Amino acid sequence: MNTLNRRDALRLLGLSTLGVAALAACAPDASGGGAPQGDTAAKTFGFTSWSLNEEAQKAAVQAIVDDYAKKNGVTITPTSFPYNEYLNQVTLKLRGNQLTGAIQLDVAWLGAMAAMGKLRDLGPVAGKGGYTDVALASGQVGGKQLGLPWTTGSIGLIANTELLEKAGVDGMPATVEEFEAALRKIAKLDGVVPYAAATKAAQLKDILPWMRTFGSPLLDGEEITVGDEPSVAAVEWYKKLFDAKLIAPDVDRFDARALFAQGKAAFYDDAIIARGVVESQAPDKTLTTKMAPLARPVLKAGDTPQALLWGHVIAVVEGEGADAAAEFASFATSDTATVASFFEKVKLPPTTTAGLADPKVAGDTFTTEWTEKITKTASANPFWRYAGYAQIETAIAEQVQAVLVGDASAKDALAKAAETAKGLQK
Amino acid sequence: MTATLSASMPRARTRRGRRVNRSRAAAWIAVAVIGFFGLAPVYWLVVTALTPDEKAFSFPPSLIPTEITFEHFTRLAENRQLFGYLLNSVIVSVITAVLSVLVSAYMAYAFSKFRYRGRRSLMHLVLASQLFPQALLLVTLYAVFSASGLLGSYTALILSFTTFTLPLCVWMLKGIFDTVPSTLMEAAAIDGASRWRTLHTIALPLAAPGLIAAGLFAFVRAWNDFIFALTLADPARQTLPPGLVHTYLGEFQTAWPDLMAASFVVSLPVIAAFMFLQRYLVGGLTAGAVKG
Repeated sequence: MNTLNRRDALRLLGLSTLGVAALAACAPDASGGGAPQGDTAAKTFGFTSWSLNEEAQKAAVQAIVDDYAKKNGVTITPTSFPYNEYLNQVTLKLRGNQLTGAIQLDVAWLGAMAAMGKLRDLGPVAGKGGYTDVALASGQVGGKQLGLPWTTGSIGLIANTELLEKAGVDGMPATVEEFEAALRKIAKLDGVVPYAAATKAAQLKDILPWMRTFGSPLLDGEEITVGDEPSVAAVEWYKKLFDAKLIAPDVDRFDARALFAQGKAAFYDDAIIARGVVESQAPDKTLTTKMAPLARPVLKAGDTPQALLWGHVIAVVEGEGADAAAEFASFATSDTATVASFFEKVKLPPTTTAGLADPKVAGDTFTTEWTEKITKTASANPFWRYAGYAQIETAIAEQVQAVLVGDASAKDALAKAAETAKGLQK
Repeated sequence: MTATLSASMPRARTRRGRRVNRSRAAAWIAVAVIGFFGLAPVYWLVVTALTPDEKAFSFPPSLIPTEITFEHFTRLAENRQLFGYLLNSVIVSVITAVLSVLVSAYMAYAFSKFRYRGRRSLMHLVLASQLFPQALLLVTLYAVFSASGLLGSYTALILSFTTFTLPLCVWMLKGIFDTVPSTLMEAAAIDGASRWRTLHTIALPLAAPGLIAAGLFAFVRAWNDFIFALTLADPARQTLPPGLVHTYLGEFQTAWPDLMAASFVVSLPVIAAFMFLQRYLVGGLTAGAVKG
C-alpha cells in the first residue's frame, strides 16, 4: 500500500510552496495600475456590453453600434459576457489590459471599477449631453464623471390596481401606516400575497430603502449606521409583516415577478423594466394595464419617498481608441433620435431632458409616472462606493433573514451586520 | 431433541427469510431514495422544457404538466448560434480527452514501471496541482495565455482543461499499470521487445478500460466547464455551458423552458457516450483499486 511518510509529506509541502510561488509570479499585477496603452486617437475600439447578447435588447444595441460605425467610419468590436458573470470578467480583462474602448456598466459596479483607476473622466463630454441631474449623478464617483448614463431608472414599488380595488383599498397608500392597512385588507383575498417583498437572503438588500424610509442614512460619512434606531425599527416592522403573513417567506425578485404575473401578489419591488418581464410571464395579457408604479410610502407625511437608483452607464477605458469610444458613448446615450428609438424597442428610459421629452417617451404613461413618482427621488446605495459592496449587502441581508426566522432580535442582528460590514469598507 | 430441532428449523428459516426480506426492502428503499434524488431533477428539467412559457411560471408549480408544447425544442433547432457552441464543445472536449489520455498514459506508465530518483516527489507534485483553488489557476492561466497570445483560442481551453484532468488521469492509470504483472514486461523483454513496443503492444491494450475511463472523465470535465470556457475563449470559440448562459440567462429574466430544452438536448451526447462505454468506465475506475 502506498502511504505518505513524513519525508514525502515534507517534499509535497515544499513542492506545493514552490508551485504557489511560481503561480504568484505569473499572476497579473493586482494593483491594476500602469500607464494606459495604445493610441487614444485610434478609430478602432471595443464595445463590451451584456445587452449585446440578451434576446430582448441585442438587436436594438447592435443597431446603435452599426449606425455609429457607419456614420463615423470607425470600427467597433463588440464583446459580451452574461450579466451574472459580467463584473468578474470585465475586472479580470481590465486588469490584464485586454479591454479597450467603451464598456456598459451597472451603476452599482462603477465604484468597484473606478478603484482600478483605468476609466476616463468623461466630464467634458457629459457637459454637452443634456443629461438630467439624477442621471449624471449615477455615473459619478469621487467627483469624476466616470460613466455616461445610458438608462436611469429606479427600483420601486409596483401595485396591481385590480387586486387593490377588489380588496377595497381606496387610492395608493402614501404612508407606512396606510400601506400596512392596505396589506391587511388585501390579506383577506384568497391566495394573494399582499406584498411579495424579498425575504430570501439573496435579495433582502431590498430592505435598505425601507431602512432609509424609517430614517436611517445607512452610511454617515464613513460610519455605517445600520443598527441605529431607525434601521432596527424598519426590520422590526418587516418582521411584523412577515409574522402577520403580509409578506411571504422565501421570495426573491424572480418569485415576486412570477407571483405578480399570476395575479397573486398585490405589491412588489422591481425596476422599471418590470412591465416587459411581467407581460412575458402573465397569462392575463391585460395585466400590464393594471400595473401602477407608486412612490414608496413614507413614515410621516412630508418625508421624501425612498427608492434605489438603478441604471446603466457607458464608461470608457483610458487607452487605445478612448477618444472615439467617448464620442460613441456620448452618441449612444444622448443623441435624441437614437435614445428615443432605443426606448421604443426596449422600454428603457433615456437619461437626457430632450430624450425624456421626445413624444415616443413622453407618451408612455407607465414610464412618465415611474420617472415622476419613483426615479425623481431615487438615490444610490451608499455602499456602492466600496469594492466589497456586495458582501456588505449580503452581511446585512443574512442578519435580516435571521430576524425574520426568529433566530435573533433586530437589534442584535443589525449590530452584528454592522460589525461585519465595517470590515468590508475598503 | 430431534423434534425440538425439526420444530426450530422452520422458525429459523422464517427468521432468516424475514431478515433477507428486511434487508432487501432496505436496499430497495435506498435505491428509491437515491433514484429520486438522481432522477427528480431530470424529470423537472424535461417537464419544464415541455411546458408553455406562461405555465412555466405558474405558482405553485405543477408537478405534472397539464399542457405540453414542443416550441422550445423547435426554437432550439432554429438557433444556429447554439450549434456553434455545440461544435466548439465537441472539438474542445474530444481533443482534451485524447490529449489527456495520451499524456497521462505515458506519465502513468513511467511512474508505475520505472524506478528513478525523484519519482515519488514528481507523483506528489502532479497531485499537488489539484490542491489549488481553480479561481487562482484561472487568474494565472489568464495571464500566461494572454502573454503568449493564446487567449481566446481553442488551444487555451484545451491546455487548461488538460491541466486539470491530468493529475487524476495519471493516478488512475498508474493504479491500473500497477496491476499489470511485471513478469509480462520481462517476458516481452526476453522475447526481444523494446520498452516502447512493450508499452504499446502489451501494457496499453491491457489498460484499455482505464484509458477509456480516463478519457471519459476528461471529456466530461471539458464538456461541463463554465468559468474557464467563459474566460479563456473568445465569443466565437465558447462552449455550450457559457453559451447556454449567454443565450438564456439575462439581467432581468431567464428563459427557463428554453434553457431546460437546450440542457436536455446537449446532455444527450454525454448520456449516449456513458451508455456505450459504461462497462469500460466501471471496470476502468475500479481496476487499479486492488493490486493483483
